[in-house]
Amino acid sequence: MPYLEMKGITKLYPNHMRANDAIDFSLEKNEIHAIVGENGAGKSTLMKILYGLEQADAGSIALAGRTVHIRGPLDANRLGIGMVHQHFKLIPEFSVAENIVLGIEPRKNLLFVDRNAAVQRISEVIASHGFSVDPRARVMTLTVGQMQQVEIVKMLYRNVDLLILDEPTSVLTEQEIHRLFETLRSLRRDGATCIIITHKLQEVMEISDRVTVMRKGKVIAVRRTAEVTKAELSRLMVGRSVLFQIERPKNACGSAVLELVNVTLKQRGRDRALLDAVTLTVRSCEIVAVAGVSGNGLGELEDVVTGLRRITSGRILHNGEDIAGLTPATLRERGFAYVPADRLRRGSSLKSTVTENMIVTSRHRFLRAGFLKGKKIRQFAERLTESFSIDGGPRVPVGTLSGGNIQKVILARELASDSNLVIVSEPTWGLDVASSQFVYEKILEMRKAGAGVLFISSNLDEILGIADTIAVMYRGRIVANLPNLPGLSKERIGEYMLGLRDDFAPAGAQRKDAPA
Amino acid sequence: MKERRSLGELVTGFTGLALTLLLSFGLVVVLIFVLSRTPARTLYFFFVGAFTNSYYLGNMLNVAVPLVFTGLGISVAFKAAVFNLGGEGQIYAGGLAATAVCLALPAANGFLGGLSALAGAAVLSGAIAGVSGLLRMKWNTDEMISSFLLSVAVVLVVNYFITGPLDDPKNNLQSTLAIGAHYGLSGIFPPSKLNSSAFFALAAALLMFFFVYKSRAGYEMRMCGQNREFSRYGGINVSKYLVLPMILSGALHGLGGGLMVLGTYRATIEGFSFGMGWNGIAVALIAKNNPLGVIPAALLFAYLDAGAKAAMINSDITFEIAAIAQSFIFYFVTARALYSLTRIRSRA
Amino acid sequence: MTGNSPFAIPMVHSAVDIMTPFLLAGIGGLFTELAGMLNIALEGLILSGAFFSIVCAAATGSLLLGILLGILCSMALAWLFGAVTLYLRANVFITGLATNLFASGFTVVLAFQLFKTKGVIQFPGIPKLPALVVPAFLQKVPVVGDVLFGHNVIVYITWAIVLVSSVVIYRTPFGLRLRGTGLNAGTIVSLGLNPRRYQMAGILISGLTCGLAGAMLTMELGAFVPEISSGRGWIALVAIYLGNKTPWGIFIASFVFGLAESVSNYAQGAVKVPVDFILALPYVFTVIAMIVYSIFRHARSSRV
Repeated sequence: MPYLEMKGITKLYPNHMRANDAIDFSLEKNEIHAIVGENGAGKSTLMKILYGLEQADAGSIALAGRTVHIRGPLDANRLGIGMVHQHFKLIPEFSVAENIVLGIEPRKNLLFVDRNAAVQRISEVIASHGFSVDPRARVMTLTVGQMQQVEIVKMLYRNVDLLILDEPTSVLTEQEIHRLFETLRSLRRDGATCIIITHKLQEVMEISDRVTVMRKGKVIAVRRTAEVTKAELSRLMVGRSVLFQIERPKNACGSAVLELVNVTLKQRGRDRALLDAVTLTVRSCEIVAVAGVSGNGLGELEDVVTGLRRITSGRILHNGEDIAGLTPATLRERGFAYVPADRLRRGSSLKSTVTENMIVTSRHRFLRAGFLKGKKIRQFAERLTESFSIDGGPRVPVGTLSGGNIQKVILARELASDSNLVIVSEPTWGLDVASSQFVYEKILEMRKAGAGVLFISSNLDEILGIADTIAVMYRGRIVANLPNLPGLSKERIGEYMLGLRDDFAPAGAQRKDAPA
Repeated sequence: MKERRSLGELVTGFTGLALTLLLSFGLVVVLIFVLSRTPARTLYFFFVGAFTNSYYLGNMLNVAVPLVFTGLGISVAFKAAVFNLGGEGQIYAGGLAATAVCLALPAANGFLGGLSALAGAAVLSGAIAGVSGLLRMKWNTDEMISSFLLSVAVVLVVNYFITGPLDDPKNNLQSTLAIGAHYGLSGIFPPSKLNSSAFFALAAALLMFFFVYKSRAGYEMRMCGQNREFSRYGGINVSKYLVLPMILSGALHGLGGGLMVLGTYRATIEGFSFGMGWNGIAVALIAKNNPLGVIPAALLFAYLDAGAKAAMINSDITFEIAAIAQSFIFYFVTARALYSLTRIRSRA
Repeated sequence: MTGNSPFAIPMVHSAVDIMTPFLLAGIGGLFTELAGMLNIALEGLILSGAFFSIVCAAATGSLLLGILLGILCSMALAWLFGAVTLYLRANVFITGLATNLFASGFTVVLAFQLFKTKGVIQFPGIPKLPALVVPAFLQKVPVVGDVLFGHNVIVYITWAIVLVSSVVIYRTPFGLRLRGTGLNAGTIVSLGLNPRRYQMAGILISGLTCGLAGAMLTMELGAFVPEISSGRGWIALVAIYLGNKTPWGIFIASFVFGLAESVSNYAQGAVKVPVDFILALPYVFTVIAMIVYSIFRHARSSRV
């Protein structure tokens, strides 16, 4: 008899979309079970229902044979179900201990929080799993990997034996992913059961015992991991074969479009420079990827190149002219195309319409005596919406679009500017396969048309697939700058990302720092 | 490019608003029954009194005029996501400025003098609000709090001038000397006080509509209001739109005050504009920050005001019941639960 | 009353009295702020507390009962504010304004209904607020004695409230969850807790303290003056921000405002400056304080 049985689970959204459509899901005790599917397949919703964060419109849940009603996370916890969310539900200003006991605080004299008892018990849980987190530390001082450990401990503290993990590896380095998988295996040894939601098939093959494939709100298939291949899974997920390879024809590179020369960025109160003598060149017809773990300077690199932050020293040249210190407005006039990592806050305005989003950088083209030419703008927007196949049309607020469509709006706007320098940062984060493919195609088009592309990303698969040159940043420095030749492996790049290798180390021994 | 709303959204908005008004008026009716010994008579005068003769009706429309200006002032600021809480002081100071200009030029041409008076009002109040905007721009000082605090101080300073240097010793009112008669705006609906400032109001609403939705500065301002980081990324000068909307907002308030003086009062009487600033906020909200919507919204408040006045004069209820009615509207007008009867979901 | 000691400083002694309503409203408002809600209804809550406490005291003949009922009425108004904002999902700023407007109008309407006047209402029969009785020698202690002693009971209750609040906010589960709600409501929800409960609790607490503040205003005077709250709720809000949202900070900020107003009171008689300018002083001073604070914060966080 399965340990967990969800039968006929249906969840409707107000616009009549079926997030979950009569789903049957069963779980064996003591297994690691993966749920895969593209964005929007309904995996998160199903797990939220299991954890009580959402209520199903129909269907039943049975745990160890008994029907249960899970009205909220407290019910779930009482049944031994815990969830580690994709976007951490932590309060950065509180300490680790405070975050963990919040809601079930141990009491001293009935009225007060017993801090010491909390810290003690938490330390025991931490030690028994080999984690390295200080319960008294404030969460904001932790690394992303450590924050996830806090989330896990938060659940273990509540004595759960069914742990749901929602896209747990999307923010981790390779090293941290290995660590996580070790933890999951150790939990399995201790008798716990794990559900892991993911869309990364490599990881499914590595860690899971069984896998359920979901698509568009339905369960498509359930397989034993040992009896299935990545290609099969991908076919089941998408309904058709997907090309993993990106065609990248060889191009002749031209002159330097963007040059960073010894760029340094310091911030008061931080002794390590955020950017440390960064030297990098992007030529026309070239895609230069910059890889790294978040927190090592990728974001700062993005900010200084696009004029949103001033550098402390060094030079930034565009077509040979120094542009350091110019405002974003001026850079826009020079024709910078910039697809930011922060799609929802920086790259678009969710409250504004698609049209309003599209013309922000080109508004001066539609002026007549201080007023905007409505008709010309409408035509422009309609043209772009069509050629980029943006669902919903030019008049809807961008906030109503899916992630993939929002990225299309941004691409449409930026690539319409016909510039010779394109800066993209994490362009396919959170997008499904089809949308990602679209993004790659567009970037390759720009490369073919002669633009130089600065491609900032933490996704090694796509970097290896698309880049001509790969640079790696670690603690604000460039530690590698390699041509993307067939022999280059993810593991190698990972070593650079974790500071285990450094091609540009200052004279002296190679330092082996702990990961940032 | 106004966001073209779907018919469904428009209906939702309208239904929600109707519900708000129904609830608010319903509560007022209950209150009248509780407080008045002659509820029927009070109700009649409260709801219908404003229309019973041209005096009440004209005065009602006249009260709407400054509300249009303060409503526009707040709408414009809200569109830029900037909060001008200093309306009370700005409209009051505008009135004083207009009076001062007229008093300083006793013999100038009526038309030009009046225009200068209005310009003075706009400039002074614009500057007052602009200070808060500048503080926000330079040091990220909360403009909501600073504009409010300045407003209180401004009111006190204006009071000083009214009862001090510019005081009219001949009458017992707390009032400045009267401005020259040739500066006054002509009445258009005697015996009420309605005057040509009404046309100014209409013109201002139209102008603001075109500015906000059709001009480039209006577009940039709206983008800043909807997402400042995005606007900065897109090359819009975000700092400018922390100050400009405040100045514009202050100027509109000042104009309202100036027009009240030129059209209705012909002097700055103590407290003549009290409440207009706060009501401007409610007007802007009901109008959903749309300049054209400010006109019916202002009329709504003027209607409440007129009804309360008529009820007070002809029945036994006190005028402050209007404040209570207004508070109910304030309570419900932003209650999203009332608007979600026919909700259209948005996917983020 | 200020003591007989030669080291008495009447301005400071008076400042401690003046600061009490700011402090009360500020502490109550702090609870709402920590829960993540902007509370501009403090003004209206003070006003309703002021009105109802003295009216009820006159009606029941008991000072204590009057104050308690006054606090209850403030809390009722606070409940209305909270319910409309949290359950009808209205804009918290506008409902705050509505609350102030309602209190303004309702007190006048009711005053008119009950006392047939819209102006000042005297309550000659009301006993004065009792002062805390201390041995005479304590009051004679230089400076400190005069500042700390000789105030009415509510002042000392306020200090107790501030202390208790500090403990509640930082050492109890309620305080932890309250702060969590304000910092990250999503986390609170994911733990199975209801953020609205804590926000409502914060609002009711502010109703309590503001009610007490209002009671102090009218009881001290022995009369109800329309709009007696006259901006104190707003000053309390500023005190919360300037005090960096901590009880101790609010205490200091309230004291500074109290001192400013006390100085301006004494200056009115002494200095030949128009009354209105002196009245405006606290507000101007606050703006300057805000500017200085902003510059300070801006410089500290600015990048190299």
